[in-house]
Amino acid sequence: MTARLRKGALPYLLLLPGLGWLVLFFALPLVYMALESLKSGDPFVSGFKLTWEFSNYTNALKDYDQQFIRSFEYAGMATLIALLIGYPLAYVIAFRGGRWRNAMLLLVIVPFFVTYLIRTLSWETILSDSGVVVNTLQAVGILGHDGRLLDTTVSVVAGITYNFLPFMILPLYASLERIDARMLEAGYDLYDRRRDVFLHVTLPLSMPGVVAGVLLTFIPAAGDFINAQLLGTPKQFMIGNVIQSRYLVVNDYPTAAALSFLLMAFSLIIVIVWARIAGTEALLGTEGERK
Amino acid sequence: MTPSNEDLEREFERLLRNPLTRRHILKRGAAGVMSASALAYLAACGSDEPAGGNGQKAKGEKPIAKGTIADSLYVANWPAYIDEDHTALKSFQKKNGTKVKYVEEINDNDQFFGKVRQQYQQGSSGGRDIHVVTDWMAARMVRLGYVQKFDKSSMPNANANLIDRLKSPAFDPKREFSMPWQSGMTGIIYRKDKVKSPPRSVADLFNPAYKGKVTMLTEMRDTVGLVTAWQGGNPEKASLDEYKKAIDKVQEGVDSGQIRGFTGNEYIKDIPKGDSWVIFGWSGDAVQLKADNPNVEFVLPESGGMLWTDNMQIPVGAPHAYTAEKFIDYIYEPEVQAPIEAYINYICPVNGTKEVMAKTDPSIAKNPLIFPDKSVFDNTYIFRDLTPEEETELNDAFQKLIGA
Repeated sequence: MTARLRKGALPYLLLLPGLGWLVLFFALPLVYMALESLKSGDPFVSGFKLTWEFSNYTNALKDYDQQFIRSFEYAGMATLIALLIGYPLAYVIAFRGGRWRNAMLLLVIVPFFVTYLIRTLSWETILSDSGVVVNTLQAVGILGHDGRLLDTTVSVVAGITYNFLPFMILPLYASLERIDARMLEAGYDLYDRRRDVFLHVTLPLSMPGVVAGVLLTFIPAAGDFINAQLLGTPKQFMIGNVIQSRYLVVNDYPTAAALSFLLMAFSLIIVIVWARIAGTEALLGTEGERK
Repeated sequence: MTPSNEDLEREFERLLRNPLTRRHILKRGAAGVMSASALAYLAACGSDEPAGGNGQKAKGEKPIAKGTIADSLYVANWPAYIDEDHTALKSFQKKNGTKVKYVEEINDNDQFFGKVRQQYQQGSSGGRDIHVVTDWMAARMVRLGYVQKFDKSSMPNANANLIDRLKSPAFDPKREFSMPWQSGMTGIIYRKDKVKSPPRSVADLFNPAYKGKVTMLTEMRDTVGLVTAWQGGNPEKASLDEYKKAIDKVQEGVDSGQIRGFTGNEYIKDIPKGDSWVIFGWSGDAVQLKADNPNVEFVLPESGGMLWTDNMQIPVGAPHAYTAEKFIDYIYEPEVQAPIEAYINYICPVNGTKEVMAKTDPSIAKNPLIFPDKSVFDNTYIFRDLTPEEETELNDAFQKLIGA
């Protein structure tokens, strides 16, 4: 009797710490923020009161549509570039890494040993107007005489790409590494060109990694503001910068909360659409065979 | 505040303070970026109670009662705002037996306000006996009744030695609720070797020759104040429309690409690197930048610079208010002030320090940016006190200008 009870209760007991954590640090703050986003008032005299002010959302969207679009543009570009850089790298590590495989993986993770902020700040130095990169590009004529890299869209997207690249590489590596070598051998028997093997065997089998990598890169990138702040100008500011300043400088908590929810909603929509297009089929691994 | 956040902030400050010997105040710059931290969000989130609470509290009708000097004192200040040896704190302890707990917990006025306001509103100072905040925040603290009234009769040094220019700010005309810790001027910092002729006016920041090499400050009162003065207004009493006209002018510069961006004191990296040439910046930074790079100059625009002060105040509920009062007075002894001034290099608010330093540190004593004479002070403005509504409106417009 007691044994059965324990057996029945055990899974729930195991769930408890995780659930408790989520309720305390995720669900409750979320509810709190949702209520915050529907308040009106001012921070100094009357305070904010819950008045179900749904216009906070429409106003926020109207005032900051540019920054929203920019955030998803930059995050999209950075994700695409990270995929183009990350895939070949993960491929080489997984299939050609040999005994260097672990060392190479370690190198991918090493940047995490230094704080995000410091790494972004060093990009500021690398890209500075009289730095090596700009001088070289000016010398070969790619950049005009008074052209610059720092404080442009290029530097912001580059910064985001750099900072989130490991999040792309690691899931890609994980899914590539799992591919059964015998599948590839069979592939070489079926198709004689390496390109066909890649397109019909390797790529479809690595799709779960692509899906995960894209999500892990895109979502945090869309909410990022450090890169825009340090490597950009007001013209590059993203929605994260707006939320930051609404909260901490203007003390306009309802708008900031509304913006946060809008960002979450848009991210969610994009994720669902992405999962529809790429996810479910790829995850089942049926795509390759059907074509 | 979690330890990791503190570590991060310190690391970041250290990075900015490179080389380590440089005597900077990291007043506002670090805060701009660090306000990113989750810590700040938490500080901001927990507090949507009205700051004014149940209307205006009595503004500390009664001054602090006389008492005995306690054996401990809690001072909240900005990072790197006192000499590393804490000379003044040690000598105060030696003299009175008071152990001073000196906490560098203020990185940003708004952030600090977010952190303390619930406590202050309930009449608790969170253990603090003294905090140091900038004029406009000091004004808000007075307005909300969060700070105590000094008994000036127990403050002979403060009465005698405060410099004239700072004696009666609009928010505290008799200096009953605040005493300056340190002041500074906001003006134009430029690279002598990059500009065609030395800038003398805010107009030079709009000179197309410097396109993309101009930055202004994220501190609203500094940027808006300087531009308002240039447009013929008086920042000490300008109307909201005049301030907004200044914002519009700066917006043009942003749109055309003339203005590269807005900074806290991160410009201490940009100017030496040549990423910016003509900028709005603070006098104390200029002193240090100049020491490292002779091509850096500071000038107050012809139309006038801004003068700001960070003020010591005693919050309501301070456990050792009388001791705090005596400590503030102690800081106003020129010999006590000298080592602080030698480290900070902003404007010294204490008369007599110049004479003390003429012997120990003559180059500082002679520096007109640290000990400005009357003609310099006459060319400065103190940004006027804004009502909460004005502040919200102006902040909103300014934040949209600087990109968010």
